[in-house]
Amino acid sequence: MLLRVLIGLTLIALPLLSAQEKPAVVKSYQVPYKTTIPKHLVVRVKINGKGPFNFILDTGAPAMIIATKIGEKAGLANGEDGWAVLDKLEIEGGPTLTKIKARVETPFQLEGMNGLGMAGLEIHGLMGYHILARYRMEIDFTRNKMTWTEIDNSVPEPGRIRKGVGGMGGLDVMGSMMKSLGGMLGRKANPEISLRGLVGLTLENGDEYPTVVGVLENGPAGKAGVRKGDLILKVNDRTVTSVGDILRFAGKISPGQKISLLIKRKDGEQTITFLTGEGI
Amino acid sequence: MNMLRALALILLIALFAPAEDTPRADQPAPAKPVVVPFELLKSGHMAVHVMVNDKGPYLLIFDTGAPMSLVNNKLANDAGLFKGKMKSPFALFGSQGNVKIKKLSVGGQSAENVDAIVMDHPTVEALARALDKPLCGIVGFPFFARFKMTLDYKTKTMTLVPSGYQPPDIMKAMTSALLSPGAKTLAPAAQFGLIAVKEAGDQADGVDIKEVIAGSPAAKAGLKRGDRLLTLDGRWTDSVSDLYEAASLVKPDEKVELQVKRGDKTLRLSVTPVKGF
Repeated sequence: MLLRVLIGLTLIALPLLSAQEKPAVVKSYQVPYKTTIPKHLVVRVKINGKGPFNFILDTGAPAMIIATKIGEKAGLANGEDGWAVLDKLEIEGGPTLTKIKARVETPFQLEGMNGLGMAGLEIHGLMGYHILARYRMEIDFTRNKMTWTEIDNSVPEPGRIRKGVGGMGGLDVMGSMMKSLGGMLGRKANPEISLRGLVGLTLENGDEYPTVVGVLENGPAGKAGVRKGDLILKVNDRTVTSVGDILRFAGKISPGQKISLLIKRKDGEQTITFLTGEGI
Repeated sequence: MNMLRALALILLIALFAPAEDTPRADQPAPAKPVVVPFELLKSGHMAVHVMVNDKGPYLLIFDTGAPMSLVNNKLANDAGLFKGKMKSPFALFGSQGNVKIKKLSVGGQSAENVDAIVMDHPTVEALARALDKPLCGIVGFPFFARFKMTLDYKTKTMTLVPSGYQPPDIMKAMTSALLSPGAKTLAPAAQFGLIAVKEAGDQADGVDIKEVIAGSPAAKAGLKRGDRLLTLDGRWTDSVSDLYEAASLVKPDEKVELQVKRGDKTLRLSVTPVKGF
């Protein structure tokens, strides 16, 4: 399948079209990204207003490859030349392209990765050269955003894709193999997500114990009677000595679940127990 | 298990199509920016000239979609990567497993002890044949992650500056991922003091602000109940879990923007969350 695309692209003379109008001002964007567990760079996109979908930023792909399932959701179908035309492609952080070509096809890597839950989030496609070549991209793993700057670059339209040429030398069967293996192991593309509850306290590290320096009166802790100036000694019976400890020990308490704080005030120690709320 | 692992590895390399030829200088890694020209192959792939343990140059595909670097058996033999290593005679795609490359240089920029796997990847081979280029592998994450890199397709250059980032061991991460229960909790890294909801069937962008807690950073920012929150720090908040994920990336006392729809107006508010929960 992959090779078919490859050969289609490589054996056909590519007419050089200047596809993009010149931007009047140089536009620069801060594009957020996530990483998969094995550290692919993932950007989120909306296609014809649908999404967001997760795409691997992939200089190893010639164009944008959209998984079949997602193509259907966005109302896309490959045309005569093997390419679908997206009315609108929005990339998180601001870059937007209109009337842009992409291939609707599920690469075996995606089928396998998603089937085995290897990425840690469902991957919906690859974003390759035909899109990326329109930007100067600054990628730095010490930051959680990239800088994309529009460049006035002539990007050739992707060539016609031939049917029935080539093969993957057996690679293509692996995607479905891994998918069925993942099914047997009970793996899912997306992990089960839970949220941490809101407590409503502002905290600072103290000499010995973390200190409450602010209380949202209408928040869960405020309603339960936690006060400014209280020292927090324990969270759910675990001793804490820093704000980091508190956030770690409370890190998996969902909204509506119980939390117990052992509090120290001038008049002694007491345990305050309440339910966390929803919110951030 | 080894077979499974080898198979799993191939899936990770999102190599979809191609790369060609660039001159380079062979010098020790400087901490200053190094501009490396790349060849844009007809297939749209980037190809760079690479030195492996000072042998080469070899032509490799530069692939941001590859969590590992990969070299073929020919290169591995030529550059002496098998020294002191037993080769397996029966290996899928000629896979000889992991090697550590003492020194990998792309242009004048080098990295030491770079993880790579030795494998004759069918897609690389197919590309090499189709393009008639001596492609011998893929430069992936274990190399490029160490640099702040600027990719520019117009000038056909990549600029590499060491960033201090230490790439984690992908194999370890993968192994623990495959053993993990596949669940995670999203925890905001700081406190904003807002409650958001998304009604079932609501397909529009953003989430509804259900409550802004009095005295909270969100209240101070001017956020109001009934607002539609579109982005937090430039990240789409199209679901409540998206909102939590965006909040998990903002540190206490970091001033960030909220993009909000109020009526038919779009507002940009500044919010500074506090340390807490």
